[in-house]
Formats: sequence, C-alpha cells, structure tokens
Amino acid sequence: MVTKKRWGERMVMEQLINGLTIGIIYALIAVGYSLVFGILRLVNFSHGSVYAFGAHMSLLFISMEFGIVPAIIASMIFTGMLGIAIDKLSLEPLRMKGSKPIAALITTIGISYIIQNMLMIVFGSETKSFPRLFNYGTVRIFGVNVGSTQIAIFFISLVLLVALTAIIHYTKVGLAMRGVEQNAKASYLMGINVNRVVTFTFFLGGVSAAIAGTLVSGYYQMVSPGMGFMPGLKAFSAAVLGGIGILYGSVIGGLVVGISETFAATYLGGSYRDAVAFIILILVLLVRPNGLFGKKGIKKV
Amino acid sequence: MKKVISLVLILALVLVSMTGCGSSSTDAGSVKIAIAAPMTGDFAEYGTGFRNAVELMVNEWNENGGVLGQQIELVIYDDKNDGEEAATIAERIASDDNIMGVVGHFASGVCMAATPTYQETGIVNISPSASHPDFTKEGDYIFRNNTVINVEAEAAVAIATELYGKSKVGILSVRNDWGTSTAEITKELVAAAGAEVVDHQEILDGTVDFSPNISRLHNAGAEVIIVAAMYNVLGPFASQYQDVNPDIQFVGFSNAYSRQLIELAGDSAEGIHFPTQFFDGSTDQNVVAFVEAYKEAYGSTPSSLTAQAYDSAGIILTAIQNAGELDRAAIRDQVAGVEYNGVTGYTTFNESRDSVRPFTVVKIHQGEFVEAR
Amino acid sequence: MDDLRRLIKENRIPLYRKMDQYRHYIIAGLLLLLLALPYLLNSQYIMRIIIMICVYSILGMSLGLITGYTGQTSLGHAAFYAIGAYTSAIISVTYGVSFFITAPIAACVAALMGLLLGLPTLRLSGTYLAITTLGFAEVVRMIFLNWERVTNGPLGISRIPRPVFFGIELTIANNGMYYLVLAFLLLTTLVMHFIVRSKFGRALTAIRDDEVAAVMMGVRTTYYKIIAFVVGAFFAGLAGAFYAHMIRFIDPNTFTFDTSILILSIVILGGMGTIKGMFLGAILLISFPELLRFVQEYRFVLYGLILVLMMRFRPQGLLGGQQKTDYAFPKGMKVDNQ
Repeated sequence: MVTKKRWGERMVMEQLINGLTIGIIYALIAVGYSLVFGILRLVNFSHGSVYAFGAHMSLLFISMEFGIVPAIIASMIFTGMLGIAIDKLSLEPLRMKGSKPIAALITTIGISYIIQNMLMIVFGSETKSFPRLFNYGTVRIFGVNVGSTQIAIFFISLVLLVALTAIIHYTKVGLAMRGVEQNAKASYLMGINVNRVVTFTFFLGGVSAAIAGTLVSGYYQMVSPGMGFMPGLKAFSAAVLGGIGILYGSVIGGLVVGISETFAATYLGGSYRDAVAFIILILVLLVRPNGLFGKKGIKKV
Repeated sequence: MKKVISLVLILALVLVSMTGCGSSSTDAGSVKIAIAAPMTGDFAEYGTGFRNAVELMVNEWNENGGVLGQQIELVIYDDKNDGEEAATIAERIASDDNIMGVVGHFASGVCMAATPTYQETGIVNISPSASHPDFTKEGDYIFRNNTVINVEAEAAVAIATELYGKSKVGILSVRNDWGTSTAEITKELVAAAGAEVVDHQEILDGTVDFSPNISRLHNAGAEVIIVAAMYNVLGPFASQYQDVNPDIQFVGFSNAYSRQLIELAGDSAEGIHFPTQFFDGSTDQNVVAFVEAYKEAYGSTPSSLTAQAYDSAGIILTAIQNAGELDRAAIRDQVAGVEYNGVTGYTTFNESRDSVRPFTVVKIHQGEFVEAR
Repeated sequence: MDDLRRLIKENRIPLYRKMDQYRHYIIAGLLLLLLALPYLLNSQYIMRIIIMICVYSILGMSLGLITGYTGQTSLGHAAFYAIGAYTSAIISVTYGVSFFITAPIAACVAALMGLLLGLPTLRLSGTYLAITTLGFAEVVRMIFLNWERVTNGPLGISRIPRPVFFGIELTIANNGMYYLVLAFLLLTTLVMHFIVRSKFGRALTAIRDDEVAAVMMGVRTTYYKIIAFVVGAFFAGLAGAFYAHMIRFIDPNTFTFDTSILILSIVILGGMGTIKGMFLGAILLISFPELLRFVQEYRFVLYGLILVLMMRFRPQGLLGGQQKTDYAFPKGMKVDNQ
C-alpha cells in the first residue's frame, strides 16, 4: 500500500509539472490573442494558424542549416511580418471603412483558412519530425524526474512573458499601446500614430506565436499544418478565462487550462481532455462574467 | 433595385451551379473509375496517397491497352474527409453512367455518409480504410479492402503475448470508431491469451502530449503497449514513453505502417512490431515493382493504406475485365468472387464483403522495416 | 410636388415600389419555381446540393435571429444542430418512432438546451458570450463522444430510418426529401418573418442597436435574448433532425466548429438582420466548395480568400444595410427613401 500511495503522489507531481509546461505554452499563445484584443477589441482567429506558420518557418530555416538560434530568429521575423501583412492587407481597410467588428472576425477566420491550407500545399499535410531543441537529460525535483526540455520551455516562456510586459510598461511604444487600448481616438489626437501601434501589436503577436510554435514543436518533436487549431481555441479560452486584454490574466488562464487538462487526462481519461478547458471557462464566466481579472464594459466581438 | 439585383443573383447562381456541376457526360467509349478521398483538410496526406496509388494502377492498365479494349479514365473527387461533401460527391458519381467503381472515402464516418447512394445506384464501392463494423452492412455493393479489426487484433495480441512473451499489457487507443472497437476486441483477446490488461488509455485525435497516459500505463506496470492509432500518435508516444521507461515494448497496427513513423520516432521506433499485409521491403515481384514505380512517380514510399488503395483499384479493374462487359451488376458479382494477387497479398472477399488476407509481422530494425523472424 | 417626384426618381424608388407592388406575384412565382425545381433540373446531385442549401438556410435564419437581429454572437450554433440530429436519430432508431414525431421532439429538446444555455450565459456579452457558446459546442461534442450508452460514442448512429409519409419512404430520388425540407424552410421563413415584423422583433433589433437605450425604453432585454436563443435553437434542432434522417449516419465528427463557423459566415455574408440574406449566404457558401472543385487543393485557400474579400468590399453582408426601408408606412403617406 505504501508503494501505491507513493506512486500516486509521484503521478500528481509529474502531472503538475507537465501541466505547468503545457500551461505556459498556452499562456504564450494566449498573450497573442490578448495583445490584439486589447488594442482592437478583435478576436483574431487567425492566431492559431499563425502559430502553425511559425513552427513551419522554424522547421524550414533549421533544415537550411543556419544553426538553430538564427533559424528561430528568422522564423520570428517572418512570422511577425505575416502578422503585419494580415493587418495591413485585410484588417486595416476594414477599420478605415468603420465596419462592424464581426466582419473583422470573419476576415480572420478566412485568413486562417488561407494560411492553414497554404501550409498543407507547400509542406504537405503529414506530421513531420522536428529536431529536439534542448536535451540535457533529466533533473530530479521533489523526487520526480523532470526533463530539461520542460524546464527550458518554462523559463524561456517566463522570460518572454516578462519581456513582453516590460515592453508594454516601460517603452515608448508600449505607452502608446496602452494609450490606444484605453482610447484610440484620444491617442490619435495626442499625436500617436494609431495604425503604427496596431501594426507593432500584430508584429509582437506574430513573434510570440512563432516562439510558442517553435517551443512546442521542439518539445514534441513534430509539426503539422493543423497543429494550431485546438491549442488556438484553448489559448483563446485561456485568454478569456483570465480576462481578455490583460496580460497576466492570460498567463494565469493558460496555466489553469494546462494543469486542469493534464489532470483531466490523467484521472478522467484522455477523451475528456479537450472539453475540460471549456467547462472551466464556462463555470468561471458564470461567476465572473468578465473573466478572473477582467475589466468591466468590454462589449464588442 | 437591390431586391432585383439579389433575385437576379440568386437565379444566376442556381443556373451556374446547374450548368457547372450538372454536366454528367455520357459520351460512350470511356471506362471511368472514381477515387473519392480527402485531398484537402487535416487528412489530406491519406487521400493524396490513395489518389497516387489509384493513378498508378490506372496508368499501368492503360499502358497495357486499358480494360475491355478501352482506355480507363480516372475521376478524382476531394471530400475533405467531410460526410456532407462525401454524400454530395457520391450523388455526382452516381449520376455518371460511365463510372464503374469507386475507390474510397477515408474515415468510416465519411464512407458511411456516402454508401447509401452507392448502394441505391448499384455501383461498386471499395474502401481501402473504412473500419466501422457496420460499414459493409449497407448492402451488397459495399466492400472493405482494409484489414478486419478482430483478425488484426488477434495478430497484434499474438505479438505481445507470444513473440514478446509479456503478460502485462497496456492499451492506448485513439477515440474514434476504429480505435475504440479495436481496443475492445484487443481486451478480450488479451484475456483469452492468458495475459492481463493492466490499463487502457484513450486519447483524442490530434493529441500530442501523452504524458498523463504514459504515467497511468507506467504506474499500472505495463510491460508492452498495444497502440491502436495512426503513425502520428505511435511515433511521439513511443519516444515520450521511452523517456520514462526505456525497456517498454510496443505493438502497432498496420494503419501506422508508414515511413513517417520512423522519421517521427527516430531511435524510439526501434523494435516496434506490426502485423501488416503490406511490406515495402518484400521480395515479391509485385511489391518490388509497385514500390519502385511509386517512388519514381511521387518520391516517397507507399504506406500500408496506400497499398490497399492500389489493390482496391486493381480489384475493380480486374472485375471489369472478368465481367467482359460494362455492366455494374456484373462487375459487382466479379468483385465479390475476385481472387486477386496484389501488393497486400492474395485477396478474396468473404460473405460479409470484408477482404481476407494473411498477415505478416514486420518490425523496425536500424531505421528500416524488416520482416520479423 | 414636382420636386418630390424628381427626388423619388433620383432615388430610383419607382422600380422599388413596383417590385413592392408585385411582390406577391414575385413570391408566388418563386414558390412555383421552387416546387417545380426537381423537374426542371432532373439531377440528384444538384438536388442534394439544393437540399443542403435549404438546410443551411434554415440554420442561417435560426442563427440570424440570435446574431443578426439580436446581436448576440454565437460561435457554437452547430451544437443545437447536433442536438436535434442526435435526439431524432436516437429516438427513431431505439423506439422505431416516425420521423414526423421525432423531429418536433428533437427541435423541442434543442430549444430546451437553448434555454439552459441562455439562462445563465446571457448576462455575458460580446467576446465572453462568443467563447462560451464555442465552449458549449465543444462540450456537447465531447458528451456525444463519451456518453456511449446513449449516443453509441465514436461509432455514431448508423442506419437511421428515412422519413415515411403515409406509407411512402421519402428519398432524394423520389424528391420526397426535397419537398420535406422545402416545407420546413417555408415554416421557418414564415415564423421568422412574423417574429421580426412583430413588436418582439423590434425589441430584438433595439437590443442589437443599443442595449442600454433598449433597457431605458423598458425592453426586458434578458427575456427577449433568451426567447431569441430558444427559437433559434428550435429551428436549428429541426434542421438537425432532417439532416440526420437524410444522411442516415451521424457521429460526433459530423458537427464541428467548422459547421458553426459556416453558419455564422452565412449570416454575416448574407447580411445581418435580413431573412433574404440567409438564402443568398447559404447558396453562396454551400455551392462554393462544389463550384471551386476545379482548383483542386487550392479549394479552401480560395474559399478563405472569398470570405476575406467579401468582408473587405461588403462588410455589411450582401443584402445587409437595407432593412431601414422595411418599416411599413401608412398608406398614402409619401416619403423619400433617405
């Protein structure tokens, strides 16, 4: 019996660590939703496919043998450019016309169709193998073996999230972003180039998606064009869970989703895994209609 | 004005769809067979494989003078692995009197949205991949050229219990019609073989993180895992599991027989055994020729499902040849009684129109598929 | 007087008025055309596409009431469609009950689920409501996948019986299915028409246009929103029941997020707050994938491109933005169209 109990405890620890790893990745994707939502009040449904795009770009550049770090940086730049292109080509004209937010939502869905299917045509729809990014064996923490990959992912993501927060709070462009977020018109009158701020936001969203995509692919050592769909939906719900538009809310939302789904998969069975994020989301929203840390009065879609 | 425009638009669209879609040519003098499978969407890789294989088979026949002295025309339909589209495509195929047989539809659910139409029209449908127990029950024009679940499960259990000699079996299955049915049958067979199923874990299609399942299986003391899932599950599952327990052994199913598996799992794929009917390293002349031709045309090695599509097309064409006339009912009878020696082995159909073929056991050794024993 | 006439001429009202005068004839003509369609076309393939267009028109109208008229974005409308399909299929397969009994039951069950979802969630708004409906649809799908005893889990429900009408089995071949869906379509259209022309419909539009103002004017917003959800879910359930008995096999993969998005796209593309637009949206979005077959693997790239371009050049939808003229003015009153 003693051994059985120890097994149980160990499993809880293992799954907690696993859940944290997955959760921080969701957080990284969720931040992309949150950034854009904060500025434009727009749910950017193309974000999941931008994430898959980032992973494929990394695969492409790594296979060209630049070395891994330059490859990832190249992928970040390209994916960021894709983010800018999405905004400039399809969303900015809609803003200029002052059309309904829901038209923009459908536009982003259309874009995700385009990106995902182009990835399939160019790279093939099969699951491809991706090189392992970091492998320095395992470390023992609290009596549990933890892969160095997991630790690396956790800390890289954490650093990135801190860096993003720093950009928003301590740089000039971040100040502009916060201004636009609160009142786009007033910011414009104060001489802020609103369109440039939006462009920068999309760039940041693309970069964070590329990093998340690369980390996930490196962790599981595979990529496929459809990889962005479910994580995209879950990260979106994580962002809403934490209160969309609020960065630390997205991080906590991501962790909650990641941990709860690993526990659901462990104790309820893998076929409940995808539903858990949504059940928690619905329950939380019933109690707190604006998410855990959300501000009141966000209306548009 | 807008009302007028919208009315005109609606009518114009109806007309366009009439002329655009409805041109069911009835020009005599061509034999057609159809391939309907996902060429877009998440399962495009499988549909593309089907199309390539059938194309190859049709080209071979055409080079040898076609069938019944006529050239064969291949009609390709993309169903996106979507039942709604499949049903529409089936209707379109049925409306073309020159189509003598259909290879296709990938997932069982999609197949079964289309089979009522094929059955009503009386056109032979062979699916290389449908696994749902009810698939062929739709009627006598519906054939399955996939492995039959209980026979294949028996072979898989034999690998686990006899070849590996293990008694603590874990099962991982993907929760769809095939995975769940296979897991249920496997459980019974394991018990019958005198071994014990220590745990059964289910996952959803698209899962990439198997750590919760691995924890459960590992803690239950599994020594061998029978994995009822495609290569994109088996590959990463094997490598993630070996981080936890390097001694674990795996048994796969022929659906996972694909070069991609070795690429995905790398060293972790070493020693995985499969029951399979197609083996690309076989010395059989048919197989050697097929693998070479496929590689030359498409630059990759065919998977097990692709080989089954290749044979399905071969069976339909042979049946047309044997029938001696372009009569759908006669062709059906010939398919039912076919004795076909293809790349997946010697094929006949039993009374429930499932293909009957022997299995060989293949393992992964030094990054290659080799025949076990 | 001359000024007014000139004004009317410039605004092209005469033609519009003429259309209005003859609208009964036009509607009758369209109905006749629809009734005669199977004999004009004589192709099962096209009939199936048209049937699917009818099904999605019903779905479009049902979501149109929620999103188009009331302004509540739902990303999970496929859930009600699925609930209708599953309810009808399960009852008719298990108990051998006729489709004409199971279909209303299925629609009512869907409506009940609409109520259940509506009651607690409608105090959410915007994005929060959208993601909740999305989550609801995913949870419903998981239930269908995992509640094996009732839904047969991943194996789905096969061999669902066809509707039998006075001893005649309705199929696509004998056009029975077409006339059945046409009847459902007419029913839905009429109900929707009367709803949106009523006080109730105006309350919904008020909620969409300015919820705060609506509350100020004494509109019980929550009550109306829930009714909209219930009615919308009812007709989606009806469409689901029909679909299940037509396709005769359903499994959890039949009704996915893509289906929800397709329905929403129909509403937005057709024009929010219109009924006619739903037909147009369904015609376009259901026939596009078929018409685009010639581009092969680029089919869905092009489909996405069409969505983007439509939104770029007509963000209010094809027929959107014209409902302003839909108020019926008292007879004899002269108005210009501005």
